[in-house]
Amino acid sequence: MIEITDLRRIYHMGNVEVKALDGVTLTIGKGEFLGIMGASGSGKTTLLHMVGLLDQPTSGRIMIDGLDILGLTDYEKTMFRLYKLGYVFQDYALVPDLTVMENVSLPAMLRKDRTEAQVKKDSYSILEKIGLCDRRDHLPRELSGGQQQRVSIARAMVNKPDILFADEPCANLDSENSRMVLDLFHEINEEMQQTIIMVSHEDWHKEYFHRIVRLRDGKIFSDGTNGAHHH
Amino acid sequence: MGKKELKVAFLLALRSLQRGSRSSVVLTVLIIAMCFTNMVFLPGLFNGIGEGIITQIVDYEVGNVMVGAKTGEQYVTDLDATLDLINSMPGVERATPHISKGATLKYRQRILGVSVKAIKPGDEKYVSPLYSKMVAGSYLGEDDTGEVIIGKPVAGDATIKQEDEFQPSLGGVRVGDSITIEYGNGYTKDYRVKGIYFTGWTSTDNNVFITWSDMEQVEGKTLDYAEYITVKAKPGYDEKFIKNELQQYGVTGYVQTTGDLLKKAMGSVMQSFAIINMVSLVVGVIITTVVLFIVITIKTINSRRQIGILKAIGVDKEVIMHTYGLQVVIMALLGICFGIILTAILAVYLAANPIVTPEWKAYLLLTPGDYITNSLILFLAAVVAGYVPAWQVSREDIQSAMRA
Repeated sequence: MIEITDLRRIYHMGNVEVKALDGVTLTIGKGEFLGIMGASGSGKTTLLHMVGLLDQPTSGRIMIDGLDILGLTDYEKTMFRLYKLGYVFQDYALVPDLTVMENVSLPAMLRKDRTEAQVKKDSYSILEKIGLCDRRDHLPRELSGGQQQRVSIARAMVNKPDILFADEPCANLDSENSRMVLDLFHEINEEMQQTIIMVSHEDWHKEYFHRIVRLRDGKIFSDGTNGAHHH
Repeated sequence: MGKKELKVAFLLALRSLQRGSRSSVVLTVLIIAMCFTNMVFLPGLFNGIGEGIITQIVDYEVGNVMVGAKTGEQYVTDLDATLDLINSMPGVERATPHISKGATLKYRQRILGVSVKAIKPGDEKYVSPLYSKMVAGSYLGEDDTGEVIIGKPVAGDATIKQEDEFQPSLGGVRVGDSITIEYGNGYTKDYRVKGIYFTGWTSTDNNVFITWSDMEQVEGKTLDYAEYITVKAKPGYDEKFIKNELQQYGVTGYVQTTGDLLKKAMGSVMQSFAIINMVSLVVGVIITTVVLFIVITIKTINSRRQIGILKAIGVDKEVIMHTYGLQVVIMALLGICFGIILTAILAVYLAANPIVTPEWKAYLLLTPGDYITNSLILFLAAVVAGYVPAWQVSREDIQSAMRA
């Protein structure tokens, strides 16, 4: 359960004050596939980064499973991201010098509760799930955009995080690959009851979301369940 | 930082070196190797020159310990008793006397002023390797009379015109030729050239050697005195130990070790070498530090977004810092190893082909201590140069890094 209360983020650009988030209050339940939508500059990515501990809000509170995550130290935040959160970025953000297998294994290798054998097994099985096992020794530059994004999802999922954040994961993909990625998210959400928070500005993506929060000028413009989600 | 974190940092560092820009890695390793060579070569060469000079001074001038006349006196007196006393002491291989006299050599139309030295050839063999430096003819025998050995520069070369000579010579004396020696006291005698030697040590090569008994003929009396006695130490015996012994046992004369003499003769030279070595070392270390700092700074600046992503997915800043730090460590180790190989090859080459001047022969004298010290200095400089930018970039917040 994620509870966001009166979240604000103000940027100062010279003498101008820009309110990227202006008092967002939101609760996200476990297992939800939440879509955050809105026009460019509406605050979607800022909200995702705040909840995902990638940025610090100006004010407000974020509780995840009863823990005030904004009060954590730098190191605790890093460990929280490692153990509890997974990220999929718009530009895939894979380490170019690591193979597919190494990229996927990387977060798992850092966990103190995983043996080397477990890391290998988990990485292998998630690569099998996304259908890229035969590409495990390839470097990211040898893969297509869609394949790279699937590897990025595998990396985000290898630690079986409580929450998966996706920041416009289909922005650089064609519709066929986009659908493949969204189907993968849907599958993960359905099979593992995985909470997914995804930012998108593509209207057709909404068919995948259980719930859609629309932002405008840093405020929630609408928040509702999506009865029309396609599966 | 735990073992797992270090393992991840090492993996990231290794992969970056293996799969990143190879030319950048090769060039950086080469720069480190060149800096190492620069740090080691000049001091090694100076050490080689110093060691070469010391060896020649010991071999041809003073031995390990030299007993000279007491202050205010011209000679070491009571020679036989003194020699017996010195030779009976533990640690002394052999003591041998020297006396010299200014003279004029005459050969055909050539006249040359030289110093004629009298030696006891048998004892001299234990103290000086002169006997092994004969380039023509043979060394003096203990009872030889009327025979002389001369340095190659003194003998000269018949094919070179007198005006073209580097230094005056007798113009091409050969073994078996007869030369006339006219001593300062008016005594003149013809000697047969028994041998011609070349040591590479100028002051010896410009000498002429006769036997002790021949010098007695020159002086017209038995010589129970010498200008100085050179003493050769047995292997493993310290010069200072022998000096102390000689003084304790009442050897009359002024006793000095090679070290004492060198301090006087070459102290300022060695000090200058040490200053040049230090400047070369500091410059080498600064160059390496700056180059590595720039290389790693550029690398981290180009990887800022990737660093942001790594932090976002839960990679701790310490791991990120070590990722870049370890890259420098690996490159520094490779560079130092390459530098060691390079300098070892140079040392072997210079040992076979020393730099020869009229005064000395120089080779590269490198001890394991030199290698260890310079490797450690360079390694530490590299680690500092690598870790400072790595530390800086690892502390950047995720948002700024990811926006880069």
